Amino acid sequence: MEKLYEIYIKTTPEKLWDALTNPDLRSKYNFGVRIESDWTPGSHYEGKAPNSARALVEGENVEVDKPRKLVQTYRALWSDTAKKEGTSRVTWEIAPIGDSCKLTVIHDQLRDNAPAELYGGHMMVLSGLKTLLETGQKLTTPGSLMYT
Amino acid sequence: MDAVFKALADPSRRKLLDALYKQDGQSLNALGRRLTMTRFGVMKHLRVLEAAHLIITKRAGREKLHFLNAVPIRLIHDRWVSKYSAPFAAALSDLKHQLEEN
Repeated sequence: MEKLYEIYIKTTPEKLWDALTNPDLRSKYNFGVRIESDWTPGSHYEGKAPNSARALVEGENVEVDKPRKLVQTYRALWSDTAKKEGTSRVTWEIAPIGDSCKLTVIHDQLRDNAPAELYGGHMMVLSGLKTLLETGQKLTTPGSLMYT
Repeated sequence: MDAVFKALADPSRRKLLDALYKQDGQSLNALGRRLTMTRFGVMKHLRVLEAAHLIITKRAGREKLHFLNAVPIRLIHDRWVSKYSAPFAAALSDLKHQLEEN
């Protein structure tokens, strides 16, 4: 199964890349989760709540083409249901369009009928990312920063 | 955002979105079979939905597949719905905590 998400954000590819890979920025719109990695091809990444040792998500950076494309394997660890799904793949594509960027997130290699908790969060993350980059503010929708 | 509201203001287009919600990545023919609509009608509605970024198309061999992009609906939720519903959600959350403590 495959899920696609697309959003237009008024920013530059460099700023968008930084917002994805800098854990301090990432935690401001990604449910409060910090994603740590050295972002080299083949490197490991891990997402944790601040002040917690438990990884909520992890995987490898398969392809790193700064600031245009990032391909990652994806293992969700936040619940038993999510853990059972094993490894899928998330691709981030950044395309500059005029004074904005089109960001496409492709979550594929999902099992058919995979539970929505695995991929449903991308919508909230992208909405928060747009708000952060365009206004400098955090999105305060209930649940959007549940791990802070 | 006007394009999204306009796209959502038509029952046939909402049906198309629901069909993709149930089964993502469908071809024009598959969508036409699910809805009692001419091929031309489906194409016309898909164009409006694509212009509003509510669907994304992707080539797969000779077929063009249509995927639901729910992000614009989420943006409307975050911009309009959550602002008005947040106080109620907070009240319910407090109630839940009180009931769980007792």
